[in-house]
Amino acid sequence: MTGDITMESENYMTARAYCLTAAFWFAVATSFGILAASYLVAPDFMANIAFLEFGRIRPIHVNLVLFGFVTPGLLGAAHYLVPRLMQTRLYSQKLGLITVLLWNVAVAAGMIGLSLGHTTGREYAELIWPVKILIVIGFGLIGANLFLTIRQRKEPILYVSVWYVCAAVVMTGVTYFIGNVVWEPETGALLGISDAVLLWFYGHNIFGLLLTPLSLAVAYYVIPKVTRNPLYSHTLSILGFWGLLVVYTHIGTHHLLQVPVPTWLKVIAIVDSVAMVIPVMVFLINIWYTARGKLGEIHADIAGKFIFTGTIMYFFVSIQGSMMALPNVQRITHFTNWVIGHSHIGVLGFAGMISLGGMYYVLPRITDKPLYSRFLADLQYWLILIGVVGFTIVLTAAGLIQGNAWLNGETIYRVLPEIHVYYVIRLAIGVFIVIGAYIGLYNVIRTLYWNPGAES
Amino acid sequence: MYIIYFLAYMTIGFGISALVFYWALKNGQFRDQKRAAYLPLLHDTKTCPVPIRRIHRIEAIVLITMACLGLLTSASVLVISLIRMP
Repeated sequence: MTGDITMESENYMTARAYCLTAAFWFAVATSFGILAASYLVAPDFMANIAFLEFGRIRPIHVNLVLFGFVTPGLLGAAHYLVPRLMQTRLYSQKLGLITVLLWNVAVAAGMIGLSLGHTTGREYAELIWPVKILIVIGFGLIGANLFLTIRQRKEPILYVSVWYVCAAVVMTGVTYFIGNVVWEPETGALLGISDAVLLWFYGHNIFGLLLTPLSLAVAYYVIPKVTRNPLYSHTLSILGFWGLLVVYTHIGTHHLLQVPVPTWLKVIAIVDSVAMVIPVMVFLINIWYTARGKLGEIHADIAGKFIFTGTIMYFFVSIQGSMMALPNVQRITHFTNWVIGHSHIGVLGFAGMISLGGMYYVLPRITDKPLYSRFLADLQYWLILIGVVGFTIVLTAAGLIQGNAWLNGETIYRVLPEIHVYYVIRLAIGVFIVIGAYIGLYNVIRTLYWNPGAES
Repeated sequence: MYIIYFLAYMTIGFGISALVFYWALKNGQFRDQKRAAYLPLLHDTKTCPVPIRRIHRIEAIVLITMACLGLLTSASVLVISLIRMP
């Protein structure tokens, strides 16, 4: 528990457990995703099996990706990079392991609950009250472990990645508690329109204040390491950090532009959604300047490759998000498959890619052996990249058809046959992602437990 | 009614941020920024150098081109929706 022992003797059990958790739930989550996509092609698919109804597996898929795959993957990297940057050991590997166990119990209980029909019905906040309490406790334990690690640090300066990890844990802990209305165990919700406002503050911030800062933390650490370049500007990165905190926290109402919420709130949401261009470009300029002239090195390293692609996806999804907050754009894109395409670029293309990159960066370093198979990791990269890009094209096209039809007053039963072909292609592309997830799980398990590679 | 929750949320968020910012300022976190940029590279005993091939560079360029094309598509949607604005 002390920081006096050298870091090289650290066993990184917590980071290992998070990586395994992420790889496992990624495979399960994408399996549920492919089931959900099958329902959109053939609505009678597995009819009358209550626990596999579309309305149940869709939130299972979303929550598993969010809390089972992306967050633990990024936390796995965070539990490696924070002690390294602070020149100390993690305060308690035992506490870390207990937290991972608790986290897995929460995720599993939440999914069983959802499949049995126990849901609050609020998007991204569907989990039942006891599970929410476990997740709040989980964030508390993660925060305690990381803050006590920082307290025993030997390096006085907090690198920008440490700032982002801390902000993610604290702000999401608060956001999760308030956004899930934890003090109302019966409903987990407020009444009427105020609940919609609160829900979307939570709904957007669970991405903006959890996945984004953790992903940026990992990218800010791994890209300089892979390129062997110092960060282009630490001052700029710190400005971006504070800019993100100021701007990102209150843009959730852009999900409610068609809803009778106060205009001032909509204006704040729209203005700050557009202003998000500033912290996003600050990050990207910084990272891309750090990587300038080293594209070969980045793509030679599997972790760098995943993470650099994640930054490109971040550029794409953020600019798209700022545009989508404009009312005139949203008249066509809102409530259509366009948004589903957007969310897949964000969660899988950006945060998911960086989560996988972070895992592939830390795994060889915490096991002291090379990755079990670089080829399998490369294969997974291409399968997921093809999946994300394919989803983007297909869902964007389907979304534009839906949006224009709606704008022109066409009825839904005329539009559904028009987009059916896109659902079929989407299902086919989804298979790439599922295969990629299972390949990743195999690679992670073999790297952790049955890795014949020589110790480095 | 919602305004209470909105204000509570924003107050907690800005409150925590302001306190941490004050601590960072007092603690000298913003002083030696030049050294801070090198922190990931300091004390690094484990390096895993990998051979660089030309294909990796081409791969990166293809990816960036794909991203630019995607952005261009999104921008064209924006332009079209603004032109069609009633």
